[in-house]
Amino acid sequence: MIVLAVESSCDETSVSINKDGKVILSNIVLSQIDTHASFGGVVPEIASREHVKGISVVFEQALNQAGITAQDVDLVAVTKGPGLIGSLLVGINAAKAFAFAHNIPIVGVHHIAGHIYANQIESEMKFPLIALVVSGGHTELILMKEHYDFEKLGETQDDAVGEAYDKVARVLGLGYPGGPIIDKLAAEGEATYPMPHIKTEQLYDFSYSGLKSHVINMINRLRMKKEPINEKNLATSFQHAAVRHLIEKSRQAVDDYQAKMLIVAGGVAANKHLRSEVETHFKDVEVSVPPFKYCTDNAAMMGIAGYYYYQRFKKIDAMDMNGYSRLNLSE
Amino acid sequence: MNKSLKRLVIDTATPYLYIALYEDNVLVDSIYQKGNNDHSVTLMDNIAKMFDKASWKIQDLAAVIVGIGPGSYTGVRIGVVVAKMFAWSHNIPVFKISTPALLASGADNGVIFAYVDARRNQAFGGVFEKTDETLVRLKADTYADLTTMLDSWTYDHPVNAVMPDLNVVLNSELLEAVDNVHDLSPVYLRKTEAERNQEQNK
Repeated sequence: MIVLAVESSCDETSVSINKDGKVILSNIVLSQIDTHASFGGVVPEIASREHVKGISVVFEQALNQAGITAQDVDLVAVTKGPGLIGSLLVGINAAKAFAFAHNIPIVGVHHIAGHIYANQIESEMKFPLIALVVSGGHTELILMKEHYDFEKLGETQDDAVGEAYDKVARVLGLGYPGGPIIDKLAAEGEATYPMPHIKTEQLYDFSYSGLKSHVINMINRLRMKKEPINEKNLATSFQHAAVRHLIEKSRQAVDDYQAKMLIVAGGVAANKHLRSEVETHFKDVEVSVPPFKYCTDNAAMMGIAGYYYYQRFKKIDAMDMNGYSRLNLSE
Repeated sequence: MNKSLKRLVIDTATPYLYIALYEDNVLVDSIYQKGNNDHSVTLMDNIAKMFDKASWKIQDLAAVIVGIGPGSYTGVRIGVVVAKMFAWSHNIPVFKISTPALLASGADNGVIFAYVDARRNQAFGGVFEKTDETLVRLKADTYADLTTMLDSWTYDHPVNAVMPDLNVVLNSELLEAVDNVHDLSPVYLRKTEAERNQEQNK
């Protein structure tokens, strides 16, 4: 089965083609990151405009690189949410128009299912598994007992972990996006600044607003007193605290559900410290972290998720399919 | 051998969903209905139903004609993206036209002020002269205060909701062929708020 997938939920316009939910024949990603950098974050209206400009070129490149034509495609998969609504609607309507023009069935896929299925590209899922989903918009623990079966165990009660990285980086004047910048700085520093131990009411929930405020207040205090800030050490201290929280909660879930596998998904899965801490703390179970190129938004992961959605439910969407800025993983 | 010219016309830049199927300049089927910020749901759904009813296929089309705004940002993108993907999918010629011009094509003859409501009493509007045969532009599409345009511009009829007439459009120089389908994009007339703020702060 040949699946063509479309992703446009934020600031990457992407089309990918896979065979049987495994072999990636092409994965074209047109990133707008340079367009948004000068605004210090993604501007939704600009993102939507850029998606319209790039969408047909990205389709064409994906088919060409895969060496197939539209007639070879058996299923179209498209991100239906969650994400920026204006951006989502461009990809969804492009996918619907393409599917209709070539008489191909279409399925709408949840963006987070895509991030989770990025782990199926180079490894094989083993159930039950725990998925730690970490990005600029999400911090969640998901239990999977079989393919395309998601049970949310917990999530952040305030900021997403990637959001906390972005805000700390912004206050330090380091630029956007904050994750990779802080990760790089942290590799050269030492954890010398005291950080709070994060607590949440529910066992599998997360919280990042306290840690974020602690760091920002500390920076402001030091600046007021005109004391020097060691950016590298501060980055290391913050990063260690942020990642420790993820590791502790994941460990708890893996133990409680006797998971055979821990998978990490989402943009923050590219974080080097998180990757090494996961290796260190989960030697007793299989660990999967997606290759760097599949950590940030891309259509390849959406296509794999679309394949497994279709295999499990044998259900397709109609031409009135819509996009959703908020969406539960079970929908 | 059926050599008829099948044309699909789309506009989603206004609160109304507009879809028309023309065969040899005769209207086969059309929709002109007020939406509820739901062009994303209704456009492809209705196109699919109308094509099914008329036994048309996208690859049979001789042309796709699309209104490219200015108008609702989210709305106009839906129609433009669908037109762009149809045209690209089967190498179909695609033509673009200003949304106010498309509105003016359906008005009574005379000097027409055609506009699309924007928020806060603002509108995207232009002035056109419309006859039985064709449509010419008298004033460029502009983003301005609606009351000011209504009160101070010269025209016979104002229109902001009327079903377009393709036969007037086909004779008009305001209909433009798009040479490279990948270049097809809406006309927004305005930069985004973020870009305007950035320029102001420079």
